[in-house]
Amino acid sequence: MTHIQITSLHKTYPNASTPVLKDFSLSINDGEMVALLGPSGTGKSTLLKLIAGIEQPDSGDIYFDGESILQTEPNKRGAVLMFQKSYLFPFLNVEENIGFGLKMQGVSSETIQAEVKRMLNLIGLPGIEKRKVGQLSGGEGQRVALARALVTQPKLLMLDEPLSSLDTSVRINLQAAIREIQRELGITTIFVTHDLSEAMAMSDRMAILLDGEVTAYDKPDVLFHRPPCVRSAKFVGVDLFLEGESSGGWLDAAEVGRVRLKDESKVGRSVYAIRPEHIRIQKEEIENSLRGMVQSCLLEYKTTASGSEWSKKVIP
Amino acid sequence: MKPFITTSLRLLLYLILIAPLLLFIAYGFSTRWFFPAPFPAEWTTSTFDRALNDSRTLTGLRDGLTIAVIVSVLSLLLAFPAARVMGLRQFKGQQLAWLLLFLPTVVPPLAIGMGLNILFLQLGLAGTIFGVVLAHLIPTLPYTIFTLSSAFARYDENFEHQALALGASPLQIFVNVTLRMMTPSLVVATLFAFLISWSQYLLTLLIGGGKIITLPILLFAAASGGNPSTIGIKSLLFVLPPVLVIAFTARELTRHGEDIREQY
Repeated sequence: MTHIQITSLHKTYPNASTPVLKDFSLSINDGEMVALLGPSGTGKSTLLKLIAGIEQPDSGDIYFDGESILQTEPNKRGAVLMFQKSYLFPFLNVEENIGFGLKMQGVSSETIQAEVKRMLNLIGLPGIEKRKVGQLSGGEGQRVALARALVTQPKLLMLDEPLSSLDTSVRINLQAAIREIQRELGITTIFVTHDLSEAMAMSDRMAILLDGEVTAYDKPDVLFHRPPCVRSAKFVGVDLFLEGESSGGWLDAAEVGRVRLKDESKVGRSVYAIRPEHIRIQKEEIENSLRGMVQSCLLEYKTTASGSEWSKKVIP
Repeated sequence: MKPFITTSLRLLLYLILIAPLLLFIAYGFSTRWFFPAPFPAEWTTSTFDRALNDSRTLTGLRDGLTIAVIVSVLSLLLAFPAARVMGLRQFKGQQLAWLLLFLPTVVPPLAIGMGLNILFLQLGLAGTIFGVVLAHLIPTLPYTIFTLSSAFARYDENFEHQALALGASPLQIFVNVTLRMMTPSLVVATLFAFLISWSQYLLTLLIGGGKIITLPILLFAAASGGNPSTIGIKSLLFVLPPVLVIAFTARELTRHGEDIREQY
């Protein structure tokens, strides 16, 4: 359980003209899972590397429970990373891989064995201690990598798109599993992804990172329905905006005329984002209806993940 | 039909590889083998016994092995950091660095040897084991650097980052991750360094100045002497260490090759 505070972090790589992180600040509560959402190349992975100590920031600071960690050696920070690839050591078996961190810390082999067993039960893969890592499937590999990260009881767990290389069914299963384990252990977690639905499904809070800056940081449903700015709104799937002067519960939009507003208190120049699923197509003209022509149709369906067999095992 | 062809080709390859060795054995352990007799008339171990009791041969064997082992170790120590930078990083002037590292392979050894001889005479290194070791590093380093740098070009540093985040110190990472991941390439690089040093004739002759005698020098002397039995035995002694080294490393390579194949 660790409170993480990141203040005004700035990072520019050598030979790069623009900074990858600009005045980046974020506060993460004890045991919270925060999703860091943004397109590729916006500095998400760089942030994790800065926290892990693989890279050094140009300025700014990172605090774990109020103490700066920048002067702490990377291997003593207690910030564990898990990547898109499992990076299980190919020359070690499952047990040796999971026990790697404990072995490096000089923990006795009996304790390591017991801990590995406990972890394998936790991730739902008991009895595979002696298996070679090459014999694991993609999903199993990531679960073992998760166990390897958790066994050291880190202060912060950082997941860098750990599910993006997996099939949809395996991914949904693992999403649920990671969420359950994270809740059960109460471990503070940063989850990096570029997938909106994954971020919404897994996080307590969601930070949208665009061009090295946090443009929005709130609960997933708040960000989804009431994004604080146009850039964030576009990233959460809105591409229809109405801009104009609001007063007395009406918006005078230049393009479409007068539109009735639910919120009557709004006054002045404002931009409204309309989520695509809130648009209803009908023949009659009523209030707030806009005239248009349907040019093409795309069939889209959504699935809802329910508790899998595996997640039931974790939470009895 | 297909398995038959591959088996035949494989047997042919074995025969081509083993034929010179059979010839050395036939010459080394026989007397009075004259044309057109297909096989030697008489078999003997006298030449072999003589070689084993010959102090020059034993010294040549000992010094050659000592030099080759030291050269292999030094090559690895020097090549490893250079190869890591060349394989993993990109920097200005990298092409020039490659050119400099590979220069010894295109400059004739005679030119290097003559130049070094004068320098080493001034430094008092000529005629010493250390001097010969230094001279051998010139042809071995380009090969060890190239072998290791191509392995580093495929190497993923995230394995090290993972170990770091799991609490391993830099030394623990080097021993438990980097060296383990690089073992197959280190074995191949060592093999190259050993073979190049072991078979060095010209540089040993020029820098050793007749004081440092290795097996290739004795072999050349025997070849110009014209006694087929002596040539056969000395050739066998010359071939033996590389064969043993290759046999050992081949087993290591297969073992680690499997680990790597499983990962990808």
